[in-house]
Amino acid sequence: MTSATDSDDRPGLAVTTTALAVIVFLQVPVIVVMLAAFSTTSYLTIPPQGLTLAWFGKVLSDPSYLSAIRMSLILACGSTVISLVLGVAAAYALFRKSVPGSEAITSFLMAPLILPAVVIGVALLQYFSLTGLRGSLIGLLMAHVVITVPYIVRSGLASLSGLDLAVEEAARVLGATGFEAFRLVTLPLIRPGLVAGALFAFITSLDNVPVTIFLIGANQTTLPVLIFSSVEMGIDPSVAAVSTLLIVATGIVLLIAERRAGFHRFV
Amino acid sequence: MSALTFERLGKSYGDATVVQDVSLAIKEGEFVSLLGPSGCGKTTILRMVAGLVTPSRGRILIGSDDVTALPPNKRGLGLVFQSYALFPHLTVYENVAFGLRRRKVAGAELEKRVKEALAMVRLGAFGERYPRQLSGGQQQRVAIARALAPHPRVLLFDEPLSNLDAQLRDEMQIELKRLQRGLGITTLFVTHDQGEALSMSDRVGVMAKGVMQQFATPEDIYHRPATGFVASFIGKPNRLTGSVALRNGAGGTLSLGGGLKLPASLIDQPEGAKVDIVIRQEAIRLHRDGTETGALAGTIALRSFSGARVQYVVKLAEQVELVAEAPSSGPDSELAIGSSVALAIDPASVFAMSAEGTAA
Ligand SMILES: Nc1ncnc2c1ncn2[C@@H]1O[C@H](COP(=O)(O)OP(=O)(O)O)[C@@H](O)[C@H]1O
Ligand SMILES: [Mg+2]
Repeated sequence: MTSATDSDDRPGLAVTTTALAVIVFLQVPVIVVMLAAFSTTSYLTIPPQGLTLAWFGKVLSDPSYLSAIRMSLILACGSTVISLVLGVAAAYALFRKSVPGSEAITSFLMAPLILPAVVIGVALLQYFSLTGLRGSLIGLLMAHVVITVPYIVRSGLASLSGLDLAVEEAARVLGATGFEAFRLVTLPLIRPGLVAGALFAFITSLDNVPVTIFLIGANQTTLPVLIFSSVEMGIDPSVAAVSTLLIVATGIVLLIAERRAGFHRFV
Repeated sequence: MSALTFERLGKSYGDATVVQDVSLAIKEGEFVSLLGPSGCGKTTILRMVAGLVTPSRGRILIGSDDVTALPPNKRGLGLVFQSYALFPHLTVYENVAFGLRRRKVAGAELEKRVKEALAMVRLGAFGERYPRQLSGGQQQRVAIARALAPHPRVLLFDEPLSNLDAQLRDEMQIELKRLQRGLGITTLFVTHDQGEALSMSDRVGVMAKGVMQQFATPEDIYHRPATGFVASFIGKPNRLTGSVALRNGAGGTLSLGGGLKLPASLIDQPEGAKVDIVIRQEAIRLHRDGTETGALAGTIALRSFSGARVQYVVKLAEQVELVAEAPSSGPDSELAIGSSVALAIDPASVFAMSAEGTAA
């Protein structure tokens, strides 16, 4: 939104220094973890001693990590696809004001962004206990849809609001059915925003601990939850290695999002 | 049989009636304009014809088919939007092909018809471009080609020329008219520009506040306005106030301030009533004092040169001023400020109506 290209608007030296300091401070833990993953010692240490890829090898051959990675990917992919379908439909209806109370519905759909994740976790736990969904993949998937759908709705609404509605009408008059007009005209025009929203939804699902940890079954786990519980049992550099993998994967997705769609405009 | 018919067509939003009982029959191949000030309901009528707005009352017929309840994609119309509404993600070629593809036209036939449509608007070489790579005038022509390509039964235009600069607008008026004549396509054209409506149309419907005031040829609209609104909206009107001195048929004599009398051809109020008076600027002839008898007299208060014409502000009496025009090369083009003149006013261009009836 705001860009400080005008030289008169340049922040002063103090502001720049402070901002840099904050960024470095925030990023230090990430760098520390990534460095620690390469240490030859069997405990976490900074600076790393020696240099080895052994911990990555250990992680990628450990069945519990592998099944956690698979579970995380299933949840992230599944919830992103479901959120895309539901979120785009919702954003479109809300934008066209074809439902009464669209303001209230928008706030309701956005609520998971504001509510503390723990609250959502506890609430869903109660609900799933009552409905017998607790510990099931379906239940987990639904929970992840709840927390990812706001990103799709938001990026969908943002993209639609920049659209000349007349193009869809033009398509209709030219002989397209309502659905054809949406598929052939509206959807291609809002696609960049949706790609950004979908990638953000994917990352949100992939990284989620606080909601997942309440709902996970006895013999299943996701990658971030496994990292979380591994840390409790004592840290060795394999945790740092798997964290590094997660950080790199997230970083790549973000980079693609920015390249493809000018990501920052939509989130 | 008419190509397009409205039967008591109406639209309301809540309590606000935006279009009121409009009935109209457009002939096959006819070019009809809807003319009126902004907000009078022209776009709403056009959108009802296209199926983008549902009428509150009345019927719309295309040929003999009642299309009132049909969705837009089943009406077989062409619509050119004010904003053009081109598909930004498609090339010019694909924009024009869009309607044909929806009608399952494919292969060589598709290519032939797209090329045909692009050639009609002289954009044959621009098929591979995207809309953003074209000028406003070119985008406009793509929008026209896109609407024409599927051979619509009726072509609809919503203020298509209002985003073009003046010179391009004049060119497009002629080009559009020639295209429409050549194809013989029934056309409904919405505009707030009377010059556009009068010069392009076979018939013009003048609207005010959702009500059709007059539906007639441009000549009748100009010379024989049916209502005070039409009289005051068309041409370049002077507006005065006065009262009706004498009624005589449809017209009579008006009295202006300062004891001035003026014959008028259309008066819709009884003798003695206070009225708004409209006098077309172009109906006033100025002569150097003394060359004309029995005419109104005044003095030149202001002169402004605008190329082909010269405009004068003439003071007749205290509080009574008129704007008059003369050709800038004629004998009356050099009247000096302060000089006395005689005014000959054609009664056929003087109209009087109740104060509420005039265009604001
Ligand atoms: N969806 C709508 N809801 C309420 N009022 C509307 C709507 N669309 C148009 N109007 C009103 O209808 C009137 C006529 O609008 P329009 O047909 O666009 O006029 P024009 O094209 O002659 O300028 C305007 O006063 C406008 O505010
Ligand atoms: Mg309009």
